[in-house]
Amino acid sequence: MMNIDLTLTLSALIFCIGAMGVIMRRDPLVMFISIEMMFNAANLALVALSDYFGKIEGQTVVFLVIAVAAAEVAVGLAIIIAIFRTEKDVDVDGISNLHG
Amino acid sequence: MGLNGLLFAALAAFAVASALAVVFVRHTVYAALFFVAHLMALSGIYALLNAPLLAVVQVMVYGGAVMVLFVFAIMILDANELEKLTQGGSLKSMLWAGGLGSLLIGAFFGLSNRFHIASALAPGAPEGSPGLWVDNVANLGRMLYRDYLFAVEATAVLLLVAVVGIMVMAKRKLE
Repeated sequence: MMNIDLTLTLSALIFCIGAMGVIMRRDPLVMFISIEMMFNAANLALVALSDYFGKIEGQTVVFLVIAVAAAEVAVGLAIIIAIFRTEKDVDVDGISNLHG
Repeated sequence: MGLNGLLFAALAAFAVASALAVVFVRHTVYAALFFVAHLMALSGIYALLNAPLLAVVQVMVYGGAVMVLFVFAIMILDANELEKLTQGGSLKSMLWAGGLGSLLIGAFFGLSNRFHIASALAPGAPEGSPGLWVDNVANLGRMLYRDYLFAVEATAVLLLVAVVGIMVMAKRKLE
C-alpha cells in the first residue's frame, strides 16, 4: 500500500498543471490535452483511494471514466475540426460565434 | 520506503516533469508525445497502486487509441498553423495561470493539513490483507458486470451516441 497523502498530492499537482495549461495556451489541441490530464489526475485519486481502502469500487469507476473520456475525446476533436473547417482559424480567442 | 517507494518517486517525478513539458513545450506534436510519456508514467503508478488491469487499459486506450486521434487531429489542423499560436503567450495569461495554480496547490495543502484528509476518512485496509492485486481482473469483471451493470450499459449507449454524432458532424456540409 502506497502512502495515501503522497499519491493524493501528486494527483492535485497534476490537476493544477492541467488547469494551468487550459488557461495559458491558445492552441485548442494543447488545451484539450490539458483537460485529459485533469481527467487522469482524478483517475489517479480514485485508484489511490481504492488502494488505501482495499476496495475495488474505485477501480471500477475509473474503468467507466476512461470509457467516457474516450467518447469525449472523439466528440471534442470532431468539434474542433468542424470549427477549423468553417472558420479556417485555430485560435481559440478568435472563435466567438456563440457570443450573444 | 523500499523498492516500491523509490519506483513511485521516480515515476511521480517523471509524470510531473512530462506534464509540465506538455504545457510549456512550443510545438503541438511534441506536446502530444510528452503526454504519451505522462500516460506511461501514470500507468506505472497504477501498477504500484495494485491496479494492474487499469495500468494495461491506460496504455491501450489512452496511449493507443486516444493519442492516435490526437495525432490525426494535429495532422488535419496543420501543425505549423498551431505553432504560431503559442509564440505570443502573453505575460498576463502567464500571471493568471501561475496565480491560479499556486492558489489551487495552496488550498490543497492547507486543507490536507487542516483536516488530515486521508487519515480522517477511515482506517485503510488492514495490514497484511491480500490486497487488490490478487484476482484483480476477476474481481473487477465481477464488479462491472454485476453491481455496475447499468453503468456499463449506459456507457455503451454513450459510446454509440458519440460515434453516430461524429458521423453526422463529419458528413454534413458545413457552411
